[in-house]
Amino acid sequence: MTPYFYKAPVLTLEGISMTFNGEVILRDINAQVLDVCRPDMQQGQVVGFYGRSGMGKSVLCRILAGLVSPTTGRVLVGEQQEPVTPGAVGFVQQRYPLFNHRTLHDNLLVAASRKYAPEEATQQVDAYLERFQLSKHRKKYPAHLSGGQRQRAAIAQQLLCSDHLILLDEPFSGLDVAMIDEVKKIILEVTTMDELNTVVIVSHDIATTTALCDRLWLLGYERDANGQLIPGATITQQHQYNLAEMGLAWHENVEAEPEFARFVEHIKDEIRQ
Amino acid sequence: MKELFSPNARPRRVVFTTMVAAQLMLLILLWAFYPMQMLPSLGAVLRALSELTTSQGLIPELWASMTTALQSLAVATGLALLISYLTALPFFRPIAYAASKMRYLTLTGLTFFMAILLSSGHEVKLTVLIFATTVYLVTGMTSVILTTTQEEMDHARTLGMSEWRSFWEVVVLGKLDDMLEVVRQNFAIIWTMITLVETLYQSEGGIGLLLYKQNRYLHLDGVVAIQLVILATGALQDYLFGLLRRVFFPYSELTTAR
Repeated sequence: MTPYFYKAPVLTLEGISMTFNGEVILRDINAQVLDVCRPDMQQGQVVGFYGRSGMGKSVLCRILAGLVSPTTGRVLVGEQQEPVTPGAVGFVQQRYPLFNHRTLHDNLLVAASRKYAPEEATQQVDAYLERFQLSKHRKKYPAHLSGGQRQRAAIAQQLLCSDHLILLDEPFSGLDVAMIDEVKKIILEVTTMDELNTVVIVSHDIATTTALCDRLWLLGYERDANGQLIPGATITQQHQYNLAEMGLAWHENVEAEPEFARFVEHIKDEIRQ
Repeated sequence: MKELFSPNARPRRVVFTTMVAAQLMLLILLWAFYPMQMLPSLGAVLRALSELTTSQGLIPELWASMTTALQSLAVATGLALLISYLTALPFFRPIAYAASKMRYLTLTGLTFFMAILLSSGHEVKLTVLIFATTVYLVTGMTSVILTTTQEEMDHARTLGMSEWRSFWEVVVLGKLDDMLEVVRQNFAIIWTMITLVETLYQSEGGIGLLLYKQNRYLHLDGVVAIQLVILATGALQDYLFGLLRRVFFPYSELTTAR
């Protein structure tokens, strides 16, 4: 097992509940992402929230990104554990929006200008374009980019202006196997850019999400004493998985391991209940 | 040939151009040789056009109307953009709503009202045109603003932009090309109104007055000639607006289905 230890929290969800027009969507969600350190490794981490379609994952994403306030509870981010505000967490939405009226270079520049002085912002943009293999597309408008290029651009844009935390909403949705591999590479690339970088994946793709993460939270519904579903998705104590502790994190080809397959099956069984 | 009648087909440029030329030729031939004369003959219209140009000042009148139309459009566009963008503030939304609904007001009643308020005929003419164009533009522009999605605004906010900066980036800059399209579409309304307004205030002339006189003396060939001139001017305007859009907003047509 890879040696590791935890440091300070980087993301905390405290009693998050969300109600829309009297309908409970999310109920009392608690989770904490701790900064994980591996000796002799300068790499950030990937954590995942798994939930079935229609369970309120996108609502959870908007809460985590500070775009909407929960009905109750709070989200704390960063080393100082301050309440989240829009812009504190990089958020790549499902359809990778970019400013369609700006070229790719300008899209990144507008984001970089938030954190850097003009000259440094330009340098940072050039560096990100290079790192994400987008340099030759710099003058193109978003409508000219392929889905993969668009996704890389959206991630680069968010990284340029956020502080280490980046949230991906359904990053594998509708992608073929080759594209999924590419996205996985990008995610790992993001974690290697800074030791503090933390990628939070919110997805319904169990196997791919599990393969990348070292912590996993499973959104689901609880039942009351009569066996009736309690409204509002939540994360119960038994649905919080420390994959590092289970020996399923940071393996090159973890998906081929029997233990991994057994775990994915276990998760599927939990979902079906 | 078959592709000209296939849904969503994209015929080659040469095929399409030939088809348009043939349709145009057919129209001219029908006009020239159709035994039941509904319109004055082509020759008569051309002669009327020549006569209107040489002795009745068609070009200066067209220019007078054109400058009035452009002046009205410029002011109306500024006003409509202001009213539409102010809908970001809830306080101003009723104003935009009311402005949009005012397009149902009749021009005659409006002209009468303006005539009481203003002293010169020119001012009345211009104000009526500006008012009427503004209310149509506000309707189109607020519709464009309403196409803004939650995703677009969230995207700007996640980049740490303030609410005003997000509005500027997503709604103002992001939809400027659509606003130009709204202006292009509504420019035609000015031409339909200008002909009427010019007949009410005849001192400054204009192509509307020329058309009115031709109508009054039953010079049908002159009426058709002026209508064709207005049609050609409108087509040229449309082309110029399209050109402006391609030059200043090259991204705007990238996602359009052809």
